[in-house]
Amino acid sequence: MAFGKPILFLLLLSPFAWGRVFVRWSIAELPSARSLGVTDIVFTWNDGISPLVAAARKQGYRVYVEMPLQQVKAAAEAGVKAGWTGIILEIAASESKESEKQLSELQSAYPKLRFLVLNRNGKQPDMRGSLIIKRDSILEVSSPTAQPWIDTNLALIKVEQQSRRTQVPLYTFAWDDQGQQKVLSADDYSLAVAEAGAFHADLLLQLDEPLQRALNSHDAEAWRLWNQVRPALRFSSASTSQSLRPAVNVGVAVDHLDIGDEVLNLLSRHNIPFQIFLAADLKAEELKGFDVLVIFAKPDRETQERIKGLATGGTTVVVVDAHGRYAWQGSPPVQVNEHTISYAVGNGKVLELSEAVTDPEIFAQDIRRLLGKRNSLLSLWNGLTTIAVPYKDRRETVSLVELVNYSAEPVRVQMQVKGSFRAVRYESPEHGCCESLAPLNHDGFTEFVIPDLRIAGRVHLESQ
Amino acid sequence: MRFDKQWPVALLFVFFSIGVSGRGSDNRLVYKKKYVMGTVFEIAAYGESREQVSAAIDKAFQEIVRMDDLMSNYKAESALSHLNRSAHFHAESISPDLYRVIERGVQLSKLSDGKFDITVAPLVNLWKAALAGDSVPSPARQQQAQACVGYDKIELIPPDHIMFRSSCLQLDLGAIGKGYAIDRAAELLHSLRIENAFLNAGGSTIIAMGSPPKQTAWRVRLRDPSHTIDPYVMLKNGSVSTSEQTTPSILGHDSPGHIIDPSTGKPLETQFAVSVIAPTGTMSDGLSTTLLLLGPQQGKALVDRTPDVSAIWLSAKAQVTTATNGPQILFGGKL
Repeated sequence: MAFGKPILFLLLLSPFAWGRVFVRWSIAELPSARSLGVTDIVFTWNDGISPLVAAARKQGYRVYVEMPLQQVKAAAEAGVKAGWTGIILEIAASESKESEKQLSELQSAYPKLRFLVLNRNGKQPDMRGSLIIKRDSILEVSSPTAQPWIDTNLALIKVEQQSRRTQVPLYTFAWDDQGQQKVLSADDYSLAVAEAGAFHADLLLQLDEPLQRALNSHDAEAWRLWNQVRPALRFSSASTSQSLRPAVNVGVAVDHLDIGDEVLNLLSRHNIPFQIFLAADLKAEELKGFDVLVIFAKPDRETQERIKGLATGGTTVVVVDAHGRYAWQGSPPVQVNEHTISYAVGNGKVLELSEAVTDPEIFAQDIRRLLGKRNSLLSLWNGLTTIAVPYKDRRETVSLVELVNYSAEPVRVQMQVKGSFRAVRYESPEHGCCESLAPLNHDGFTEFVIPDLRIAGRVHLESQ
Repeated sequence: MRFDKQWPVALLFVFFSIGVSGRGSDNRLVYKKKYVMGTVFEIAAYGESREQVSAAIDKAFQEIVRMDDLMSNYKAESALSHLNRSAHFHAESISPDLYRVIERGVQLSKLSDGKFDITVAPLVNLWKAALAGDSVPSPARQQQAQACVGYDKIELIPPDHIMFRSSCLQLDLGAIGKGYAIDRAAELLHSLRIENAFLNAGGSTIIAMGSPPKQTAWRVRLRDPSHTIDPYVMLKNGSVSTSEQTTPSILGHDSPGHIIDPSTGKPLETQFAVSVIAPTGTMSDGLSTTLLLLGPQQGKALVDRTPDVSAIWLSAKAQVTTATNGPQILFGGKL
């Protein structure tokens, strides 16, 4: 996924609500919006869609129709007449350059319709085991790591936030049944919903057809399952403040915004608060608050000077697999190990890694070590299955931490947040808002314990 | 001598077929996973009906959780944590499971002449901070912690009492606990008429019960840092465990590993990963750390005098040493 257009490196100040769940519906009838607890329903475009749209609107839904970009011009007019709320578009990477202009034209031509771009590259959020049951009747232990492997969409959402700044990220994924014909549980759906809400994105959720049919035919078991998902839906959409933005102190500069990069996934899993941006933006943008900056690009002369300036100011810069003579190489090089050379630059340093990252897990651990205790915005204990994202308010103070536990089993998580907070309140889908937690302040950090994080949780922090 | 085995220590690949005669047989396979002991436990089992197998697996997981509540050194309220606070010069009564696992840990400690030592906790705790990025502990602190280590200071008083003959001795069951826990889970499955199952404790210890339908054994691929040797075993009613020191840092000075050598008081320096095949999870788990600490030469001698055990040491440069006193280790396991 490559986006050619330079993107401004300002953190996103979203004007939109997030945590909305769009449900993709594929059968002919549907229960009411009120009973489902969902207001946005999505149908796939086809010529005979009108009766379904009419029925859905009657049931209280806002109707979105999903289609490829090429079909929009033909369908939009009909959509306006039929009362669609919007159109959800899948835009191929090859179409991305032209798409922004086309979208803008469409929005002008059809102001009553919302046009949303969908990223289909999400994955089912999950704590993965190492046994994989394949469709060809084979099981294998595929991972050499003993640490739980978390499939998360956080990196994808961060990339979307940077690449499509006029829209809250909207993504979807296909359920992975690993060949087991697994029946999806309330926890599976709740985790998907919780993840999107916690990372301040929107989700297009696929309900499997047997569940759709069962819900529609008033099957008690299906409704029991769905009613267990509804607290997650309510919790996820209950955004506390739209002015919050992710608190980050690690920057990752790349040539292309590409979710395929496993380093981004590992940084996410290790709870390293990072911001991704294009290397080209290094020259133009204000870069403040980064304690570590990782460069996955060959820097030109101007960018080199920028890197040198950041290092002089105290930032640790890691330049990956970019061999050559560079502006920061004034001091004698220190061989750190067989792969890495370090240059002292002012108050900071530049580390040159001589090869591409071959082990993203170790690389992510190294980035955490480079940050050190003093610069760790957030640390978790017993949080191997938990991803936590800190958000800061207009005063640049962390005021909210969203948590997702991918094991979907209650864990007692100990958390340390940089900053001194006089009150810590904990909100969860199970217990609502809010339980007071006892903060322990020391040395510029605040520690507290979340006694029972099941799938989703939200920590509200009040500064001293 | 592992902190908590969150590290990339293990294994393997296992291949087996799911049933043989279409959907009817497939339906008898149930797979479940659960997060316990800081890792993912998985069980895939065959039985008479999905309901029977599913209920049995749930009970096996409950047993693993019970073991965690006994042996965790993370949970302040665990039986082990209580023991580590209170058994100094004072005989404490403990549960039969905890007694048994400590007894086996002491046996392994004796067998390895202290290379493996379940009292390594003070050293593990000392180096944990360094692994997370803090500075390396001073020689004085290392010496101080090392003085607290020694399995010979444990007094086991049958049938269920224990006393520490040192004021700073602490037990760490991290190198044997998961193995014991899945042994207990396998016993429980067996008692519930599950004969064919595969249990995986986070990749680092595996138990194979029986075999998959119409197969003679479970084919288990072993950890190969060189990616060239492809060792595997055909496992039936046995266990495999793998140990490996933490992968070195890419950007920093070599970070200390999570496996501590009690004899030096420092993280073990080794280029090998070791896999051990043994009759039980407790044995393979404990022996894998022991044999990593001993290295191929001394380790081979230990395997030679231990019945039903085989082991393989492999380095990233494809150096291989095998010791076979039990199941055959085969090569060329790529499928």
